[in-house]
Amino acid sequence: MAPSAKGTVEDLAGRFGGADARKIADSTGVEERRLAPDGVCASDLCQEAGSRLLRELAWAPDSVDALVFVSQTADYALPATACGLQQRLGLAPSCAAFDVSLGCSGYVYGLWLAGALLQSRAARRVLLLAGDTMTRLVSPFDRATAPLFGDAGTATAIEGLPGGGPSWTFVLGTDGAGQAHLIVPAGRFRQASSEATRNRTEREGGNRRSDEDLFMDGAEVFAFTLREVPPLVASVLEQSGKTAADIDYVVFHQANQFMLRFLAKKIALPKEKVVLGLKQFGNTTCASIPLAMATELDARLMSGPATLLLAGFGVGWSWAAAVVECGPLSSIGCTVMES
Amino acid sequence: MGEPVGIIDQVLEVVAEIVEVDRAGLTEATVLAEIGWDSLAAVSFIAAADERFGKAVAPKRLATCVTVADLAAIIQQ
Repeated sequence: MAPSAKGTVEDLAGRFGGADARKIADSTGVEERRLAPDGVCASDLCQEAGSRLLRELAWAPDSVDALVFVSQTADYALPATACGLQQRLGLAPSCAAFDVSLGCSGYVYGLWLAGALLQSRAARRVLLLAGDTMTRLVSPFDRATAPLFGDAGTATAIEGLPGGGPSWTFVLGTDGAGQAHLIVPAGRFRQASSEATRNRTEREGGNRRSDEDLFMDGAEVFAFTLREVPPLVASVLEQSGKTAADIDYVVFHQANQFMLRFLAKKIALPKEKVVLGLKQFGNTTCASIPLAMATELDARLMSGPATLLLAGFGVGWSWAAAVVECGPLSSIGCTVMES
Repeated sequence: MGEPVGIIDQVLEVVAEIVEVDRAGLTEATVLAEIGWDSLAAVSFIAAADERFGKAVAPKRLATCVTVADLAAIIQQ
């Protein structure tokens, strides 16, 4: 589920100059981003996606045993947004509901949790909602982030099969030493909001942002990715007992096109197997993997089973990869939420 | 057989490609800030260092580079 309002390269040209805006778009691969209007939260996008999915699958709301909401843009400091979503989606009071505050790696962590819930028999049906409204955390005057991030909300329904379904393999990891490179430094409890933290000032490269805006050191993010993702992919392949040739599609977190193409080349993945879904949506953090699956692999996943390698990596640093058998799905698609 | 291309020459070539300037106009002393070196260029250099030289460049070290010679020093290290 994506908002209807768009941010375009032309809009950016007004702030950064036409040549720079084009250069950035050519590198990131982002031509358009979706912008949630004021008052629309990640949970609203996820709620719409979730309602629609439950309807299409004909799942009674009270048959959902667990709701996992992955987001870094929660409705409130407390309570957990998942609690409100349980009520708004009409799920039963017996439904377990909780938030997971992860970004780029969040969707794969959510799948891992959903799989663990099914395996433990704590749940038979899990609704995994992953979404963010990152454009709210981005300074429009920061060329490292403003041209890149978009808003989206997703819903994934996961059901345990009698006798167990196909096995899924996960590899997860964390290196908190990287937290300063991709962060909103102020506005919560470590550094509370103040006039000083809200004041946008000129920073590196002529970018203007406040300490309550997202900061991203692109070079550090790229170096982290080159260091961690190739071994992550090798490890999840090894643990699943598969090789790259057994994988039908690789869906990386849609960070930016330059990075994904470089990674694919470095890992020697065939170009046609690596899904790119950034052009119309940008980097939608935790929503980017399911959104790319819905926009780029919908027909394929509706028509039959596929072996997917999913890998999310970034803010934290946090990373997670999975090899999953997926499909044929009963429902998959991307819709626009009219404002 | 010609002389093998030295690291400096290869780095000059990489820098010319990244900032899209004529290689002939660059020397070791060229100041990066004067040829449009920016954060995208830094990312491209990390990629080129990995691909062509098998070097993992530390972004902190890269951020201290002022001239093309400084970039070459990272590769030669």
